Amino acid sequence: MNNYYLGIDIGSVSSKAVVIDDKGIVALSVMPSGTNYASTSALIKDVAFKAAGIMENEITASAATGIGGRNAGCNSYHGVILCDAKGVHYLFPAVRSIIDIGGQGSQLISIDEDGRVINFNVSEICATGSARLLQVVARILGISIEDIGPLSMKSTRPSNFSTSCTVFLETEIITRISQGDKAEDILAGIHHSIADKISALSRGVDLQPDIAIIGGGALDSGLINTIEEKFGIKALVPDNPRIIAALGAALIARDSLD
Amino acid sequence: MNNPVSRLYFAGIDIGSTMSKAAIVDSYTRLLCYVVGPTGAEHRRRANRVMEDVLAKSGISLDEVAYIISTGYGRVNVPFADKQITELTCHARGVSALFPEARTAIDIGGQDAKVLKIKNGKLVDFLTNDKCAAGTGRFLEVAAETLGLELNEMGRISLLTSTPVKINSMCTIFAQQEIITRLSEGEPLPDILAGVYIAIATRVAKLAHQLKVEVPVVFTGGVAKNAGMVKAMETVLGIPLLIPPEPLITGCLGAAILARDEAFRLIQLGEFKARKKQLGEAYIDFSENAF
Repeated sequence: MNNYYLGIDIGSVSSKAVVIDDKGIVALSVMPSGTNYASTSALIKDVAFKAAGIMENEITASAATGIGGRNAGCNSYHGVILCDAKGVHYLFPAVRSIIDIGGQGSQLISIDEDGRVINFNVSEICATGSARLLQVVARILGISIEDIGPLSMKSTRPSNFSTSCTVFLETEIITRISQGDKAEDILAGIHHSIADKISALSRGVDLQPDIAIIGGGALDSGLINTIEEKFGIKALVPDNPRIIAALGAALIARDSLD
Repeated sequence: MNNPVSRLYFAGIDIGSTMSKAAIVDSYTRLLCYVVGPTGAEHRRRANRVMEDVLAKSGISLDEVAYIISTGYGRVNVPFADKQITELTCHARGVSALFPEARTAIDIGGQDAKVLKIKNGKLVDFLTNDKCAAGTGRFLEVAAETLGLELNEMGRISLLTSTPVKINSMCTIFAQQEIITRLSEGEPLPDILAGVYIAIATRVAKLAHQLKVEVPVVFTGGVAKNAGMVKAMETVLGIPLLIPPEPLITGCLGAAILARDEAFRLIQLGEFKARKKQLGEAYIDFSENAF
């Protein structure tokens, strides 16, 4: 009989669950976190088990992470930094630096050849350094998050914003629209604002190749491009960048039994 | 016999990000009249409007106004002003006129916060925050919108509790979500509101402590009109604050007094010329009462 392991990441914006067995990923699910983390955890587990075609009692071990992970009813809880490192190292063993752009903050993590965390910097104090600003701008422009990347790539003259605060940017974006700035130029300008904040985060953390970009922000190809230009790097982006911490948690659960 | 100087009047206009204010003083720097109104998008029209309003309210004609100084975020958009002076200088002057002993002034406006150190009526040091909405009136507006409350209502309700919740997020955007989460967890509204005020006050106090707070401390700006904010600011700083009867007008009052000083200086130099600049085109009244 197969051994199954569950990892859950209850983030500020979205929750993710990953089921793995001894060979690799079996199933995953993503949903909004809402405000009741305990019920979200129960629901996302259910969805993931159905997708994996298993029952809850077939799970050998489980681990949780994220802001609401302590309410997820798993065997253990681990910090996001550790889970990010574990998940990225599993997918890309050559990666030494991780940029995680989440809904409520970003982190920069450097890891060694065994995937152990050497150093990290966390920003949770400002929405501009997180993927939250992308949601704000998408709402104002009336587009979906997935459309931001392709649209922003058409920009020839990125808008230049005078403020770096998301609240003030909301007003400035509307002013720019009224002045005739194109949506793609506004998006490209916003990408620069986010990349600037993340670049401030890189102080004290030595960015070494390979570099992976993960988290909800990594779904935005335009943002990835801007970060690559600003840092002068080429980044690896997993197919499903949001689930890496949940994957890491599942791997930690699996390792806990060795 | 009337002293000819006593019939001269001086005006200050402060075009802020959210509110516009105008004041008129006489030769003895006595405040005769002031008006306040929302700024809106049309700065120039708004400048004309507050000037017309303050003249109408005081019964003084434009010809009797010897000198006009504009200040605030929109001060360049007051075409009829004789001079522009930054709001920091004007605030310091206005605060000192109202409270001659004042050593520190904390001003929280619609989009910024300033801390001023004052000595003998003069600005000696300052710090401002206009980079981040946390610690400005904007944070309060976002909280009010989120909760569907009026700003003054919010202040009143917050006074009903002595056990504020702790708002952990510094960022306005994240705090907005935290407020919703706290509500869904069943925290009482007054506790949440009191927590919001404490969060802003903590942020502004951090700015103030960088300059060393010296008493007496005057609290001004639109946010100082909010009873909940005053209580939170006094709690966080641990000292009582002096609040002007109208906390919005220290800037325009200072500008008016500086207008008087400047006119007197020019008169003494023999360089004073009667004003020729007139107000601009009549404003279009978009207010509800106009239709």
